[in-house]
Parts: sequence; C-alpha cells; structure tokens
Amino acid sequence: MITKEIKITNRLGLHARPAALVAQTAADFDCEIKIAKGPVEINAKSIMGVMMLAAEYGSTLRLSFDGKDEEKACAAIVQLFTDKFNEEI
Amino acid sequence: MFVIKGVPASPGVAIGPAVLLPTADFAVANQHIEAAEVKSEIGKFGRAMEKTQADLDANEKKLRETLGGEYANLMSMHKMILQDPMLKDAAIAKIKNEHMSAQAAIFNTLQELAASFDKVADPFFKERRNDIFDVGKRLVSNLQENKGAFWASIRRPSILIAHDLFPSDTISLQENQIIGFCTDLGGKTSHTAILAQSLKLPAVVALSNAAKQVKDGDTVIVDGENGLLIISPDRYTLARYKKTQREIKKAESLLQTINHLPTVTGDGRNFRLMVNFDPRTDTKENKKLITDGLGLLRTEFLYMNIPQPPSELEQYQIYLSTAKKFDMRPVTIRLADLGADKIPDFPLDEFDKDNNPFMGCRGIRLFLKNPDLMHTQLRAIVRTACEVPAQIKIMIPMVSSVEEVRHVRDALNKALAEFAKEGKKPVNKIALGAMIEVPAAAIALDGMIGEIDFLSIGTNDLIQYLIAVDRVNPEVAHMYDPCHPAVLRTIHQIIQTAHQRGRHVSICGEIASDVKMVPMLLGLEVDILSVPPRMFLRIKNRIRNLNFETCSDTAQAALLASSSEEIRSLVEQMNQDEDS
Repeated sequence: MITKEIKITNRLGLHARPAALVAQTAADFDCEIKIAKGPVEINAKSIMGVMMLAAEYGSTLRLSFDGKDEEKACAAIVQLFTDKFNEEI
Repeated sequence: MFVIKGVPASPGVAIGPAVLLPTADFAVANQHIEAAEVKSEIGKFGRAMEKTQADLDANEKKLRETLGGEYANLMSMHKMILQDPMLKDAAIAKIKNEHMSAQAAIFNTLQELAASFDKVADPFFKERRNDIFDVGKRLVSNLQENKGAFWASIRRPSILIAHDLFPSDTISLQENQIIGFCTDLGGKTSHTAILAQSLKLPAVVALSNAAKQVKDGDTVIVDGENGLLIISPDRYTLARYKKTQREIKKAESLLQTINHLPTVTGDGRNFRLMVNFDPRTDTKENKKLITDGLGLLRTEFLYMNIPQPPSELEQYQIYLSTAKKFDMRPVTIRLADLGADKIPDFPLDEFDKDNNPFMGCRGIRLFLKNPDLMHTQLRAIVRTACEVPAQIKIMIPMVSSVEEVRHVRDALNKALAEFAKEGKKPVNKIALGAMIEVPAAAIALDGMIGEIDFLSIGTNDLIQYLIAVDRVNPEVAHMYDPCHPAVLRTIHQIIQTAHQRGRHVSICGEIASDVKMVPMLLGLEVDILSVPPRMFLRIKNRIRNLNFETCSDTAQAALLASSSEEIRSLVEQMNQDEDS
C-alpha cells in the first residue's frame, strides 16, 4: 500500500470538473484508492464521494493506494493535482 | 375557459389536446420483498441501469449535435453519477441485505446521499444534489416499465402537461408527437427552456399547479409569447390564437429572408444592429444570424455558483471562444456588474449589511474596492485581445464619475504593460467605454466624454434611477415607465453630447428589443441597438419598414411632450401608421 499527502493548489478546489477527473482517472486502475480529508474517507472512484469531500484551496488530503497497479495509479492521480487539473496557467 | 399565467420559456403558439405525463412514484414506502425475490429484483435493477445508461448515451449524442459540448458534458456527469459505486453498490446492498425492493433501495440511497451533500457547508457543492436526484428519478422511471407505453399511447399531435421535465426528456418530445409543453416547475433559463427554444417547441413553465388543473384530452393553448396556458378555450379565443399562429408562421418565413439584408430604414438611413450574446444559451439557430457585432457580453454569470472568483484562464477561455465567433467585428465585454441582485457565493465584505443594494456597492464600485478582481478580469480580456482580430471593447458598468473611468483606464494600462513585457500586444487597440445608467453620469457626461471611447445606455437601470422606482416593489412597479418625458429627454441629451464629440451610442436594455419603442429610439438618433438573438430578425424587420424622417419628427414632438400619456400616444400612432 502507498500513502501520500497532497495539498490542493488550484484556486477553485475540488469542484465538479476536477472531481470528475479524479474519479475517471481512478476508475482506470484496479487497485483500491481512498482519499481522506480530516475524519472523512471516501472511495476515489466515486465522483459523489470526491465532491462530498468539498476540498477547498489549501486543504490537505491523504491518498492511499492498495493493489497490484498501485504505483501507476498513485503517479496518475498525483499528476492531476500537480497540474492543478489544467485549470491555471 | 380557464387561463393560468406562467413564465414564457420558448416562443410560439401551440394548440391541441392535452396529455398528462404520469409522475413517477418516487417516494415509496419501505417496500420489502421476499428472500426468494432478491435475485430477480437485482436483475430488474441491472436492467434499469442499462436502460438509463443507454438513455444518457443517446441524450449526450443528441445534445452534442443540437447545443454543443457544454450541455453534453452535463450528461457525461450524469453518467458518472449513475455508475458511481456510492449509488450502485449501496442500492444493491440494500436489496440483498435488507430485502428492499429496487425502487425503495434507490430512493433510500438517494436520500442518504442527499443528506451527506446537505452537510457540506459550501453552497456550490450542495447544488450538485439536484444532479443526483435527476439521475435517480430517471433510474426509477426506467424501473417502472410502463413509461415507454405512455409515449407510445400518444397517437396525435398533443401538448404535454408535466409537473417537471428533464432536459433529457425534452429532447425526444418531437419524436413522440408533442407540439408544445407546460410544466409546473422550471425557469426561463433552465436547460429545459433553452432546449425547447432550439427545438422550436412553444413552452410555458413555472405554472405551479397546471398538472392538477388539466385533464387528459382537454383542448389547451400554450401561448409561449405571453407565458399563458389556456384550458378549454372558447370559440373566440381559439379563433384568435389560430390567427396568431398563422401570423407567426408567416412572419418567421419572412424573417429568414431578411437575415442577409442591411439594417437600413426605407429612406436609406443606416443603423447597426448587434446581439446581447450569452455563451450559455448559444444555439445553432443563433449562429446563423448575420449581426454587426456583439453589443453586450454580460460576465456576471462567470462569478455565480462557484466557490471562488473565476481565474484568468477560465475567463480567457470563454472570452476567446466568444470573440472567435465574431471574427473581425466588435465584441463588447462588460466588466462584471456584481452586486444588487447578482450576489456571488464567495464572500465579499461589501455585501454585508447592505440595506439598499441597488444604490450600494455594485458594478465598478465593487471592482475599485477589490482591485484584484478587476485586474484578473482585465488581464483575461487583454489576453483575448492579443489573439483575436475582433475589436475588443470594454464597458464599465455603474459609472457615476470621471474619476472612476480614470481608475479603470490606469488598471487597463497596467494590464497592457504586463503583456507588453512578454512581447504581447492586442491585435486591435482595446476601446474603453462606459455604461450610462446612473443619472449623474448622464447629466455630467460632457466632462467624461473626452476620456471614454464609446458609450452604451443601460436603459433598464437608468429608468429605475431616474424615476426613483424599484421595479420589483409591487406598490410602485407600475411607475417604471420608458415613456416618461424625463427618460426620452435624458436619452436625447446623452446622444447629442456623444455625437458632438464623435462618439457612438448604443442601447442594450429591454427597450431596444421593444418593437414599439424602436421607432422612437431611431428618431432620437441612436447609432447601435443591441438585442437578444431571438429578437434580432424581428427588430431588423421593424427598422427596415420604418421611415427615418417620420421617426425623427415624432421624436422631436415627444421631446416637447409634458406627460407619459402624450408620449405613449405618439408611440402608438407611429406603430399604427407602420402597420397600415
């Protein structure tokens, strides 16, 4: 299992479009992917779950990946966050 | 005969027998099933999922063809919700472990999901619960296998009466012999309304309880022009509406023939006719219009329903795709007129304790107090201007003094300098203009005119401020009067002052698309009218049938009038002359 902490750096936070991107990307992998913010932990393959986190700018998320393709999954999801979901220049 | 007033959602008139859309029994009691039925119930759920998925696929394709990407994306969002394990797995678990019926399982799962969404403090995320319910209702209606039978039972052109209608239902109405529809819920800018317009289906929404008042088979009239539903009309009403229907049909085919003709009066005076463009409601029909440019791009919508102000990139993308649609023509972007009735979700101190928001911190006043907001918008506009051949014009809302114009000019120069450092320069010089809607700006215009490149009269607010009347206060709303002598005289004075200094004047308020008021505005020598796309050809046709000399004479007479009554009778007279 891989765990990773990540900070939200796009100004709008995890609103609908980024949430959709996270869920879509997560669904491409077989491993279990969880995202936690504070006490709330959700399945990253669920768009509703990701939206429910209501993760705003500056908040910190804990990501965990568990399964055969966990490394690839981790790289892909982290990439989305570092690219700020391609929203900003 | 019985008439219900609603909101006109899509123009036109439809007459026919009513069919009532059966409402899905959504709220079910905790229906339990026997252990032996679990397997077949899960099968039923699976089939409904497949059917819903197919529905959404088909709708996404149709939406992409008719309205373009943005609406289609809404459907892909719905597809993701449908396949979401929080919905799917939770519902199946309820059937398996708690022996709930599929419908009860879906309903309970939705309730739980909605409850967790309600816990989120952010209003933006709360709104998403509507999307979830949309999908859930569709899933339930696919469980009830009689729905297809309802559509198949419609044998003749009919009018659909529904409590509410999904956008995705709306798009297949025509295939099912529906020639118009009415709903209890909905609004003018809902997706359903926009779809109805692009499909040319007359529609009235927000009728509150029409679905209860109409019986299957009643003859009904949908008056999409005035927002009326007429149930069991009498002979005279029916005859009158049949005539209106013929007139609309005739007018529409005529209008298409004038699209490519110039906007010129019978006696050869040229005017420019532009559109108030809204990228959210752009339809294929609108794209065909040959306009003189974009007269008003309202940008407030970019700031609504999001947790933080839009970024430069987000704004730039919208301005860019909009400007590209207007090739080398003018594109007028109004700085966000936030405040008054347009309050964004993100917090701004200026809106707290504002007892009189129309006179409070709105438009440019808000931007001058929040220079970062203005800077971001100006940068997004300049970035756009560096890439498109369109003539980008920036319009400042709610200007009351020349100092405000100077502040914006400085801020614009700062943004231009930043891009110049990167070696970027606008293709055409960006024009800076003012929206004249505060009486002080109108009266002292001569002091400001030298520092602005163009101006536009915002008649909706100007009239409100001139007469000191709040349009939404029912006690005084009737006093809101475009024919008040003060209104015409102020418009006249603005135009004269501007013309002396060689500036053009446009009008983009509701008055510009009022067929009856157009002759008066032309007579006052306005240069440009900017109207909503759906009114574009009607107004062009009106101008082409006018005589400028007559308009001018009547306007001169109106400027001498002492009462609204006199002016109104001049307006009526001008319209009668033209009709005959």
